[in-house]
Amino acid sequence: MPYPASQDTDNPVYWSAQMTAVAARQDIDAFMRIFAHYGPRVQRYLVGMGVLPSQAEELVQEAMLRVWRRAGQFDPARANVSTWLFRIARNLYIDSIRGESHWLVIQEGLEQLDELPPEDGATSAESFADGVGLDRAIDDLPPQQARMIRMSYYEAKSHSEIAKELGQPLGSVKSSLRRAFAKLQAALRTAP
Amino acid sequence: MKPHHHPDISTLMAYSAGALSSAFSAVVSAHLSVCHVCRQRLRDTDAIGGQLLNQQEGLALSDDASERLLARLQHEDKPTAPEEAAVQQRHDPDLLPAPLWPYFGRSYRELPWKWIGPGIHHIRAQNVTDDHLMLLRVAPGRSLPMHTHGGSEMTMILRGAYDDTLGHFASGDVADLDLDTEHQPVTAPGVPCICVAATDAPLLFSGWMARMLQPFVRL
Repeated sequence: MPYPASQDTDNPVYWSAQMTAVAARQDIDAFMRIFAHYGPRVQRYLVGMGVLPSQAEELVQEAMLRVWRRAGQFDPARANVSTWLFRIARNLYIDSIRGESHWLVIQEGLEQLDELPPEDGATSAESFADGVGLDRAIDDLPPQQARMIRMSYYEAKSHSEIAKELGQPLGSVKSSLRRAFAKLQAALRTAP
Repeated sequence: MKPHHHPDISTLMAYSAGALSSAFSAVVSAHLSVCHVCRQRLRDTDAIGGQLLNQQEGLALSDDASERLLARLQHEDKPTAPEEAAVQQRHDPDLLPAPLWPYFGRSYRELPWKWIGPGIHHIRAQNVTDDHLMLLRVAPGRSLPMHTHGGSEMTMILRGAYDDTLGHFASGDVADLDLDTEHQPVTAPGVPCICVAATDAPLLFSGWMARMLQPFVRL
């Protein structure tokens, strides 16, 4: 393997620096380190969503090419590399697997909006704490809430599907997810 | 524009997770295009997805995956600047929110409205892969046909306004309604109210039309 994953893999700051190197000087080594670390994770995500492994590999390649092309738009103050890659992988999934060909264009348009100066005097993005606090907060969720989060994010199950599968009213699923979000958001906004 | 009514956070989570149907996603996207607050909340819901990605054990790729990626990089040009659709939208009042363009076209003036009842016109989106998406135009001072019908619905006001027990809904506002919410919106006087609505069951027009006509023709 010419590009072994780095040992410093849990530190989001490290990955933001790799991404910045790709943007600043088209650093292929940094890019391939990102691939070695995140490629298999994106593959796991897509296969979990029900994509055939061979097709998932193709989407992983496509996701990485997008990372390469759009490296200049990566803003470490707004998102971690993992969040950015999640967004790219999810968008490719919706576009190609669910067959919604407008999705990518719409999402790119929405992302551009935050690169413009705010039109209504709104303040710029709040500073984004790294993922360490969030990591713990996900582990600390009550099992039922954690399960719903995973069913939603990792199996793309709708709220009614989750309700049916867990034998709960739809309203309870929604309120559990609201409570889970409140806990996770608090972790995001607090520096570890 | 500063909306006062937003999609529920659980709806934004489903959108972020890719678990919301295309019709409901279209309404959320349209709202996001005018709501800075929700774009920020979406960054948080996306961060949950990112963190789950981090926590997962990877699944090995084929042995030649690195080589293939490197080979494809050789064919990549320098990155190009993205289109300026977003900027355009801000300055032309005839343009629909950009996320609705694929479903209804760009221009309010060119919308092919169909009459469906006194004071009410609509347009169904054709290319929605699941659930139902439509535009509605309701004359001032009338009740909207959007009320309890057993399924979920989400409505965003594009022009004009309406009032119901939940409050005043004006341009940019979203009503993200649970199954059993009772409401009977009445459009504000002055200008017609145009809204985009997603429902998980087709609206039964005969049903509400009968109710709406009742005061006039005693069905």
